[in-house]
Amino acid sequence: MNEMIFEAKGLSRSFTVGGSPIREFANHFLRDRQPTVLRAVDNVSLTLREGETLGVVGESGCGKSTLARMIAGILPASSGERCFRGEAYDSFLARKRDALKIQMVFQDPLSSLNPRLRVGEIVGEAAVLHRLVPRSKAKDYVVDILARVGLPADSINRYPHQFSGGQRQRVGIARALAVKPHMLICDEAVAALDVSVQAQIINLLMDIKRDSGLAMIFISHDLGVIRHLCDRVAVMYLGRIVELAETKQLFASPTHPYTRMLLDGMPKISLQRRRFMPIQGEIPSPLHPPLGCHFHPRCQIATEHCSRVRPELRQIAPGHVHACLNIECRSALGEM
Amino acid sequence: MSRAGLKDFIGRFAESRSAVVSLAVSITFVACAIFAPLLAPTDPYDLTQLQLSDALKPTGSKRMLPGEEIRANMWVEGGSASVEPVSPAKTRLAFLTEPCAPNCLSVIVRPEDVRLASLQIRNLPAGVTVEGAKKHPIQPWWTVDTPQGSKVRLISSAPLPASFTFLAIAKSMEQETDFIFRLGTDGFGRDMLSAILYGIRISVFVGLVAAGVAMVFGTGLGLLSAWRGGVTDAIIMRAVDFMLGLPALLVGLAILAVLGNGVSKVVLAIVIVQWSYYARTARSFALSELGKEYVEAAQCLRLSPTRIMLRHVLPNCMPQIIVLFTLNIAAAISLESSLSFLGVGLPLTRPSLGMLIASGYEFIFSHKYWISIYPGVVLLVMIVAMNLLGDRLRDLNNPRLDR
Ligand SMILES: Nc1ncnc2c1ncn2[C@@H]1O[C@H](COP(=O)(O)OP(=O)(O)OP(=O)(O)O)[C@@H](O)[C@H]1O
Ligand code: SF4
Ligand SMILES: [Mg+2]
Repeated sequence: MNEMIFEAKGLSRSFTVGGSPIREFANHFLRDRQPTVLRAVDNVSLTLREGETLGVVGESGCGKSTLARMIAGILPASSGERCFRGEAYDSFLARKRDALKIQMVFQDPLSSLNPRLRVGEIVGEAAVLHRLVPRSKAKDYVVDILARVGLPADSINRYPHQFSGGQRQRVGIARALAVKPHMLICDEAVAALDVSVQAQIINLLMDIKRDSGLAMIFISHDLGVIRHLCDRVAVMYLGRIVELAETKQLFASPTHPYTRMLLDGMPKISLQRRRFMPIQGEIPSPLHPPLGCHFHPRCQIATEHCSRVRPELRQIAPGHVHACLNIECRSALGEM
Repeated sequence: MSRAGLKDFIGRFAESRSAVVSLAVSITFVACAIFAPLLAPTDPYDLTQLQLSDALKPTGSKRMLPGEEIRANMWVEGGSASVEPVSPAKTRLAFLTEPCAPNCLSVIVRPEDVRLASLQIRNLPAGVTVEGAKKHPIQPWWTVDTPQGSKVRLISSAPLPASFTFLAIAKSMEQETDFIFRLGTDGFGRDMLSAILYGIRISVFVGLVAAGVAMVFGTGLGLLSAWRGGVTDAIIMRAVDFMLGLPALLVGLAILAVLGNGVSKVVLAIVIVQWSYYARTARSFALSELGKEYVEAAQCLRLSPTRIMLRHVLPNCMPQIIVLFTLNIAAAISLESSLSFLGVGLPLTRPSLGMLIASGYEFIFSHKYWISIYPGVVLLVMIVAMNLLGDRLRDLNNPRLDR
């Protein structure tokens, strides 16, 4: 097995919402405190090996982007540990050039590119500033990178609004590649694109991965894309990981009731457009998550126990963990 | 902005005729400000050129050269006279004498083209008088008003004494020159046209510099506020709220009352009044830019906060700030004019438009309207044009308001 490139232990992030500092102060004295703390990511642990692709799926608002930002090191964690190749983030991020090893591709191809900069500068700026390439060679360097993502050389003098959505996402990928990353986080990198363009971008990402052996964290709504791209998949629900397994295993024999719901909602025949359908039941507000297992109001096999005890992640097969109180092993599935 | 984007922007700008006109007017004013020394017929700051005789002349009057005066002691000895000027003033006038008929001596003022207002002869010996002159009731002084051919004749019934002395005083008439005061003159005899041109120069200069300094300072604080958040943000924004709550004119008055007047102090006062607008605008637009993914991308590329703020966020806030700048130039000009009008702004020797309006205020009830009205109209046109320009730029920046 390959070396570990990234490891998160008990990573959490909460936001104070709607609360002014004064309100927070007042809360210390008030009886009926307003819950102003939102736990966007709650005690998440995961690992990523060199060259591996980890998928993260989950409904909107379950904290995927927050997790991605923490992994990328642009959002501080409320608690928990992050390590890159065994080194804690505090010291790792302080060395700017090393911190470049983790890069991110964003969801919105337009707003993730600064509208006032030419593509040449968008892609080349960081490489030049961090002295990865001398300024005099910057232009050739950028043209090379653009060629890798399939953009013509004359793109460097154009502005983001002069490109199509797919081309913009290529620029975003080129920007990440330009600083020679070892780990790439794609936060819904294809969600905003047309289906045909999605396929192109996914192929591009796969080519890049094959050529350079990047480790990748691929966040998506789209189970089909995840199945296609990823070696392992983590399923998130309201800030927590509920199941994590190898792709084949997860799709063949999901154990957690939430994962099963997601996969049931997935059209079986068509290869295109395999977005999961909305599942029955409201998604609870992350501000007031249900006690115990977050999923219990929607779970068909929930027991009274589930609304009191928080399920921890347990290994149920080699490389397969889930957080459910009632399903002890895969064999139990038949009862459902 | 790309070239195509710029073209599109110009096209949309030109859709509004009033915007184009106000742009043209604004440019004209800036040109007036820059080229005032070349355009102005006189230098209103040169106090030595001013003469009280020109004061309060209406539009179209000509400048008058004041009359000159010469005094000379004359010694007549055996028919020839020697002339000794008493006060060797700078004048082109000169005396000479010429015998005429027996018992007669002409006193002539040269050059010939000069027109004399009066010629007075004093202290003649007994028996000698001046032809056609009025004698002073007590003193031995003879005066001829507007003497023909600039000369007078000393006559005596007996032969003139062989030697005698007298004092001659000649005064020449005021002379019209070709110089026309196109817009009249103010109470000091300053040419209003020149004063207005120089006033535009000062007003535009003060407006640009003050609004510019306020922009740099306020935008900097706004960006800092947006970036740091927390306590820094709270302190800066409370200061902004405080400043916005105070009436601008009152703050300006208070500051200048403490500091005294002068261009730099007026600029300082306007900066203190205006920085808060920029801080608030820059903060709010920077916050909305900071929420965009390209900022996260820049953080991911481990660029320094300073670079992210100045190179990435600031340029995206710049259109809104420039709109505010245009509007604030007009506000700065009118604030400066108000302060000058109230007498705490710029010094009287270097009048701005507001100062000119104020200086004409005392004459307006004696029908000497031009001193206040012309600078007032100029100020009005200038401020309206800049406001229209700023409004149009703001509309263009806000797609929802456009069309
Ligand atoms: N800066 C913030 N301040 C307050 N709340 C936040 C902030 N960022 C995220 N949240 C909240 O945290 C929760 C998780 O947000 P996040 O963006 O990580 O979700 P997501 O899984 O990426 O959703 P999506 O699929 O819609 O992108 C949401 O409820 C969101 O409202
Ligand atoms: S813990 Fe209980 S509620 Fe949660 S998924 Fe398992 S069975 Fe359902
Ligand atoms: Mg997201």
